[in-house]
Amino acid sequence: MQQPPQMTPGPPKRNLSETVWTKLDRKATAVAEFTMRQYRKKRSTWVLGSIGVILVSIVLLFYIDAMSEGPNLPEWISDNDGDGLIDEDPSEWDGSQLKSVGDVDNDGDCWAREPFDRDWNGDGIDCNVIYNYDSNGVLVSIDADPNVDEDPNEAVFLEETVHRSFLVGFAKFGFIFVLGLFLPMFLATGLIRNEQEAGTLHYLVGKPIARAEILMYRVLGFLGIAWPYFIGLILLCALVTGFFGPGDSIFRFSDLGIWFGIMLAVLLAVLVYSVIFVTFGLIGRKFGYIAVFFYATFEFFMLLLGTASSGSSVRMKALTSMSVSFWCTEIINSTAWLVWGDWNYWNGLTKLPAWSQGDFNPLELALWGIWGTPFPTANPLLNMALSIVVLLMITGVGILVGQSMFKKRELH
Amino acid sequence: MMPDMQQVGEGQPNQEWQKIPEAPAIMVDHVSKWYGQVIGLNDVSLAISGGVTGVLGMNGAGKSTLLKMIVGRIQPSQGQIRLFGTDPFKNPAPYHRLGYVSESEKLYDWMTGLDFVTTLARLHGNTRDEAKEKALHVLDFVGLTDVANKEIGKYSKGMRQRVKIAHALVNDPDLIVLDEPLQGCDPLARTTIMNVIRELGAMGKTIIVTSHILSEIERITEQIVILHNGRLLALGNLHAIRELLDHIPHRILLRTPNPRDLGRTVLHHPSVYGVRFPNPQELIIETNNLSDVHQGLPALIVESGVQVTAIENPDDNLESLLGYLIGGRS
Repeated sequence: MQQPPQMTPGPPKRNLSETVWTKLDRKATAVAEFTMRQYRKKRSTWVLGSIGVILVSIVLLFYIDAMSEGPNLPEWISDNDGDGLIDEDPSEWDGSQLKSVGDVDNDGDCWAREPFDRDWNGDGIDCNVIYNYDSNGVLVSIDADPNVDEDPNEAVFLEETVHRSFLVGFAKFGFIFVLGLFLPMFLATGLIRNEQEAGTLHYLVGKPIARAEILMYRVLGFLGIAWPYFIGLILLCALVTGFFGPGDSIFRFSDLGIWFGIMLAVLLAVLVYSVIFVTFGLIGRKFGYIAVFFYATFEFFMLLLGTASSGSSVRMKALTSMSVSFWCTEIINSTAWLVWGDWNYWNGLTKLPAWSQGDFNPLELALWGIWGTPFPTANPLLNMALSIVVLLMITGVGILVGQSMFKKRELH
Repeated sequence: MMPDMQQVGEGQPNQEWQKIPEAPAIMVDHVSKWYGQVIGLNDVSLAISGGVTGVLGMNGAGKSTLLKMIVGRIQPSQGQIRLFGTDPFKNPAPYHRLGYVSESEKLYDWMTGLDFVTTLARLHGNTRDEAKEKALHVLDFVGLTDVANKEIGKYSKGMRQRVKIAHALVNDPDLIVLDEPLQGCDPLARTTIMNVIRELGAMGKTIIVTSHILSEIERITEQIVILHNGRLLALGNLHAIRELLDHIPHRILLRTPNPRDLGRTVLHHPSVYGVRFPNPQELIIETNNLSDVHQGLPALIVESGVQVTAIENPDDNLESLLGYLIGGRS
């Protein structure tokens, strides 16, 4: 009788919990965790972190002080029209894109004029205001009939302006430049280099994990420390400015959006800068330091130039767009435009004839020196998306360059 | 014309590469490494698979350079290196089967021994629990269980070396590369580490260990590679090399209160061709058959009736071995 064919055992069943990806994930977690623990043990981390906290705290104290005292307005600016009355004819414009708003003469001094003398802007409507916009929808000028909107409440506007200027300015200079640039500069540059100089890098690269991955996971580990730190600082600022900021409510919830934008910009700045600096760290020690110094200087000047030229030529903006700080600040500009939907309103207010006393315009000086219209596109959402993409692309290129350098690096 | 290297002992009949059916653990094929004008390693070829191999050489001989290339830390300027058939500089895959103990004394002093080994075990793709279990196992193997939770910064030199060995063993590698593992250790630590290496060898691992001290290697293995000035000087069985050494002029130093009486007696031995008295307490015997004299020496001492406090072989070191090997080639 013929024997039935022997069943040969098939290949062993694959354990689905053991794949290349799970192992990769474990390695990534191990390197990132190790890096975070290493940073927690370093004195320099605590010193730099404390400096950042102190700096932010001091600035916030100045802010609280300024907001508690209120704006110190000169006498002439409270009574803009010099009629002895204060704030009797404020602007009612709500920032909408209406070309013309009628009957805005609160104190009636326009209507008191002769009928033939009530329509200076020539639109056929007495005692009204015409708003002129450019093709991007930005308010460029205001033509008001006589004695219309000539005495707004400066204290309210100025306080709001100072508040907004503080948020945007501190985000750009304090968070993006001072902390966002310097913290990675001092801490991330040595992510690989310090290990090599300490003679301990071989413990990591001697394991079955590609050098390119080590570099990436080390950066992740650094971000694991840096990002929560920045998120904490930004939350602190959001709370302080929310509670102490101008307004009738206890907390300015309307500002949470802008703080979210600032957080996004700062986290991306830290990501890009840490990748750039870790790559610089892979250049030789001497040239690495020189490169880091020149790059930081470049970023600083680009930020200054970008801010100073916020309303200036496309050529200047194109030049500053070569820097990381430009794209980070564009996220802030775009968020401000999105979150504070009345930007045009503020823009318009600064253009009211009532504000200007000679060449001095406090609103324009405070606000427009800090904030700029989104660029390259005036659409804030598109601009923000573009900025994020550009920053992520710079990160990707930086990682690739760093990985390529690290892969070829001999560890003597 | 000088040969590139001397093949000594059994199993290495010529210098030609022999085809090995399976990729050897290590294959070094005409490898050279230079740093600017300085040559670190000069046209070295060898294949190692299985057993404990000692790499001997003076400082600057190229031992560490060779090992660094084997483990993929640096790449050859010329020639090629294969670790389990793969270029270790370009591909970290063979590191799964490799454990490497560097000569560097640097460690993460802020970590505990257990942390250190566990963290590095996780880089092999182990889960936290697996890594910890393996770490505890290897720490026990190297005798560090008691101090596993102590910071490495508080470890003695011997403990530091052992924790380095533990991290290299944590994934049960097939190949273990140890660069000067005994350097700076006290005698007790040396003995412990040597025992660990011997035990690993007995477990069937391929082990490469470097040293510049002949007696250390001798206590660990018989299979040696000798490097000198970046060149492969000899490879083979240490005993066979020793036999060659036995037949070259050699000195034996004896410490005794009566060196002259003892000298008179040993001069009768046929293999002794001279004696010297460097000081009133010492006798140097000159011979060209070291084993023969050592065999007859106890009887001669008894015959002379003098007390001997110490017997040393001043020529039994790497310098002498190198001197002989280099001299033999000139």
